[in-house]
Amino acid sequence: MSALQKFMLVVEHDKEEAKRIAESVAQDVESKKTTLIEIVQMLGEYINDEDPILRGKAVSFLTSVIKSLSPRFLSRQQIQVLTTFFGDRIEDGGAVAGLQTLQALDRFTKEMVTETAQALFSNFQDLQSRSQSQRFQVYQLLNNLMSNHRKALLEMGDTSLVGIVDLMTGEKDPRNLMMVFSILKVVMVEWEITNHVELLFDSVYNYFPITFRPPPNDPYGITAQDLKGRLQDCISSNRLFAPQAIPALLDKLDSTSPNVKKDALNTLIACVHSYDPDTVSRYSITIWEVLKFEILNVQEEFLSELSLTALQGIAQRLSEGVTEISQDLPLAQYLKPITKECNEQLQEPQQKQAKPAQQILASLSSSSVLAFALLVQTVVAPIFTIYQEADGIVKQRALLDTLSVLFESAIQIFGKWTTRGAEVAFENPLLEFKDQFSDVLGQALMGAAKEEVSFRVTALKGFLRLSTLRGFFQDNEIGLFVQYLDEILLQEESVGRDDLKKEAIAALAEISKHKPRLIMDITFPAFVATLPDEDDGTNTAYLSTLDTLAQISVERDIFETLFRRLFSKLSILLQKEQPGSVGYPRAILVTLLYVMQQRDMKVDPNVDLYFDKIVVGLCRSVSEAASGKAKNRVLNDATILDTLGRLCNLLVRSVSIQKQEQAAENVYSLFALPGDFSPVPFFHGATADQERTAIVSTYLLAGLSKDCANRIPHTCPDVSRLIQDLVMRSVSEDTEPATHLAFLRQLALLVNKFLSKQDLHIAETAFDGLVAGKGILSPSAIRTVFWLSKALVLRLAPTTTHILTSLLGLLSSPDQQTSAATARGFSILLSEDDVLSATNGATIRLLSKQRVFTTVVPMISSRIREVNIAGNADETQTKPDHIKPAHLTALAGILSTISTALVMPELPTLLPLLLQSLDLQTLDSVAVRAATLDTLAVIIRDNGVAVIDKCGHVHSLVERLLKTTQAKTNSSAVNTPRLRADALKCLYLLATKQTSADAGSNAPPPPSISPLLPEKNQVLRSLRAVLDDPKRDVRKAAVDARGAWIRGVDDAPEEED
Amino acid sequence: MAEMQNSNPTILNVADLPTRSPSTIKAADYGNGIFAAVPNPADFLSSDSEDDDLLEEPIDEQEIYDLIKCISDPEHPLSLGELAVVSLPDIFIKPTLPNVPDSPLQTVTVLITPTITHCSLATVIGLGVRVRLEQSLPPRFRVDVRIKEGTHSTGDEVNKQLGDKERVAAALENGALMQVIAKMMETCQ
Repeated sequence: MSALQKFMLVVEHDKEEAKRIAESVAQDVESKKTTLIEIVQMLGEYINDEDPILRGKAVSFLTSVIKSLSPRFLSRQQIQVLTTFFGDRIEDGGAVAGLQTLQALDRFTKEMVTETAQALFSNFQDLQSRSQSQRFQVYQLLNNLMSNHRKALLEMGDTSLVGIVDLMTGEKDPRNLMMVFSILKVVMVEWEITNHVELLFDSVYNYFPITFRPPPNDPYGITAQDLKGRLQDCISSNRLFAPQAIPALLDKLDSTSPNVKKDALNTLIACVHSYDPDTVSRYSITIWEVLKFEILNVQEEFLSELSLTALQGIAQRLSEGVTEISQDLPLAQYLKPITKECNEQLQEPQQKQAKPAQQILASLSSSSVLAFALLVQTVVAPIFTIYQEADGIVKQRALLDTLSVLFESAIQIFGKWTTRGAEVAFENPLLEFKDQFSDVLGQALMGAAKEEVSFRVTALKGFLRLSTLRGFFQDNEIGLFVQYLDEILLQEESVGRDDLKKEAIAALAEISKHKPRLIMDITFPAFVATLPDEDDGTNTAYLSTLDTLAQISVERDIFETLFRRLFSKLSILLQKEQPGSVGYPRAILVTLLYVMQQRDMKVDPNVDLYFDKIVVGLCRSVSEAASGKAKNRVLNDATILDTLGRLCNLLVRSVSIQKQEQAAENVYSLFALPGDFSPVPFFHGATADQERTAIVSTYLLAGLSKDCANRIPHTCPDVSRLIQDLVMRSVSEDTEPATHLAFLRQLALLVNKFLSKQDLHIAETAFDGLVAGKGILSPSAIRTVFWLSKALVLRLAPTTTHILTSLLGLLSSPDQQTSAATARGFSILLSEDDVLSATNGATIRLLSKQRVFTTVVPMISSRIREVNIAGNADETQTKPDHIKPAHLTALAGILSTISTALVMPELPTLLPLLLQSLDLQTLDSVAVRAATLDTLAVIIRDNGVAVIDKCGHVHSLVERLLKTTQAKTNSSAVNTPRLRADALKCLYLLATKQTSADAGSNAPPPPSISPLLPEKNQVLRSLRAVLDDPKRDVRKAAVDARGAWIRGVDDAPEEED
Repeated sequence: MAEMQNSNPTILNVADLPTRSPSTIKAADYGNGIFAAVPNPADFLSSDSEDDDLLEEPIDEQEIYDLIKCISDPEHPLSLGELAVVSLPDIFIKPTLPNVPDSPLQTVTVLITPTITHCSLATVIGLGVRVRLEQSLPPRFRVDVRIKEGTHSTGDEVNKQLGDKERVAAALENGALMQVIAKMMETCQ
């Protein structure tokens, strides 16, 4: 049997084998054992057979052999012969693939291209009746000829043009169409098409609009958008299409389908951007006439937006290359009917139609500087006229809104003062109206009645835009505006929600970026002058002044001025015998702190100055005050020390390592001169004033880099004595709360941040010393234990499990006090802290939260089960009944400090515990129930009802939530307004989150009856009574929850589009 | 939707609509602005006082207004508040039985001002307001929704329809109508 026969036997079911046969024959050809002639002759008996399948197989054999030959093997002559051979039998299977192989060869000539193309054109009139894959093969060949031999095809001129179009006309398969469109686009762009415009246009426009929807799980991944994109490229490819395309597309806007309209608009936009300006100009007014209706009578928001984009595109194209403004410009002709329409609509600017007119102005005026100039010429003057004649403030406000639209466009075109880059060559046409704007806006802002807040806000925003517009106002004109703003902030009474003042502050802050000098020269003196020397308790207006100053002082130069002014105020205060309320110095410190937090102090060139004044200077003053040497007791106040501490903390973090070392050495001595002050550690009999300095010490310590650890006093050879001293102070019952917290934080900082791994045993010994073998602990001792635990757990010390077990053990203490205090302590464990924070370089391991959660929850769960069983089995109750609430409180404490992502896997264990928490009734359980409701709300919001249904608790949950919404209860239960509102929020979320969030994306969930349905009647009845709750917020929540259940809970799930 | 009846109504600015003024403004408070960012250590250990809890806040006209101002107009993507179809001075709460001082029964009257005098959707808007209030008020409230006198050409006719319990109930059985009303209430949150 010959190779050909073998090939023909296997080719259908064993491609590999067939390929192997062809390869071996190819090898024989290359090694001259046989020749191509012989092979072609071998085909002889089959290629004239009646059966096309047989013929196809024979030709395929030749194709396979050629494919396997090395690319340079065939001579030009051989290629010629083969091309003719394949061309003659192009309808037989395998011939197209053969030509495909041949055309890729270097020796494939122009004549052969022509011959191949001719063969394609003349033999495939029936192409569309063949299978998709055969058509695909033909297009692929054509596509390759296009990319490899385009010149040859181009030279065929009309023949190839008509041939290509005819060949592909009627194609319907999306995969093939993708190729058809890209081939046709090349023809449209590169062929001379003048004689065949209509033919070509129709060949693609017949497919508009594309309504293809890919089948589910489409392996080819072709979307309707892909097809739309390619079709759009074709239609917009040649300006000669304009006479057909633009009217046709505008016609499509009469369609009732928003999607068809969207496609038409998108294509129109593409045409506007790719046709030449002359062509665009010819149709510009026609397009406006049609699109006008889409914008004025908004059917769908996106259609109006696309229409605006199209109009803007036209204006941009018509501005190309124009250097001088004149009314004869095509651009001016285009804008004329548009401005006419806008001016008409703006006659009554407070009415609904004025809004689209404003949008038209906005998009056209921002399209180019020329369009902007032309629009300003025709629109601004009439607006002023209407403004002068307006009979009401509502109308005037709408007009100012319209002007603001133009100001916004001006900013887009001419930039702001801070914009970098070259200025626009044209003069800003608004300059002509500068004084009028200033007058009208100033009058509106300052002359209107004080209650007209929204009118004044509009004027303010307009004024602000002009003030930031590059090269527009002179400094003194902006200065006038700044004065207005100062007046509003300093002299006017608050009205309503204070919107005007908020806007005024924002405006000053914005101007401070562009014109800091004006703020320093005008606003600063005016504001600082109103600051009192001390707070005598009569007036706290300084708070809002400081607030404003803080918000406008973020720019570097302004901050420096602010610091100088405020620091001198503070220094004077500290020297006074009678400094008044400490609220004032604290407010000054908070102001400085706020601004420093907004700025990056690490790069501030003045940071060393601030360090010397605040950290060195004020800390020394603190030490003096603690020793009773100060003029007053301002620096003895805990709130002052706390704020000062935060300020010091921020500065220490921002300075160089040398300065930090200086701070480290003075953590306890507070930069006091030797002998003037006794530092707190190891100082027995320290007064409350002296101990209070620990607040500042703790903040200083927190700011230090770990590299300075060896400079901290009392840490060599090890810190065990210092830690013992701190523990001793921490468990003391009669320390002031603020000082106590400072000791606790300091202890935690040392253990968490500065203790080396080898020294960890020091902290563990301290922990065991406090806890081991004790059933009763004082509240201070319990807090100390928890802070120590926090420090160790966050760095995931090796004893973490031991620590957590010991803490849980304390919950079961027979002493009710110990148990309750321990339960509350669990919220300390993982909560965020301002001192022991990542910002301050504390060691906080990523897995610590998860570790705590997964260790503690199963233990709490099993302990509660024990208690429940014991309670049921034994009427005499061997277990005291405080143990279960204590465990639930501890759980709530933990839950409130971790993310729900961690909670979800444990939900089946957790949910029964949460439900039991809701069953607690007493007053002291309010916090626990509130935390539980918060957790439930997050669980429901993120995961929907399904997770609760999966655990089978929907009914129990709804029942308990409803119980919590009752203001008056028969039992002794206490439901505070907050609990009631939170419970209602959970009910609301249940009804709105019936399908989980992630299910929405692809596969819609199988239609099923909502698990909430059985509860619906009960919920609606029960909530009806809650609508009469004495509290407004609760009623509001009840209305929302009830509405959600009425609308959302249904037996048939809503049909999606 | 068919041709709009009033395609160009006047619109109020949302910021200008009446709102409940924050009752306890402490103009200068450490809890405001930048001063809220730094916790006051004096709060340390103190528990939230819930003294306000006992204070009762009765349902007032503003609350009724807040319930209905957010309903969408069936014709425009705008709310009844923005279109001034409902307004605060046109809402009244009175005891239903003035002669029985202990009676908890109250009557809410809402007067509606259609945007134009021949608006055929006035009945639908009235029904929407009615449904919203009936779903949101406790049972001791009677709801009375009417067209404001002199603002509609067939006001009496519409009022008769809105006041007739049977006809309201029949209208609410109408699926297409309820769909329109449900759509109007989607914006109420």
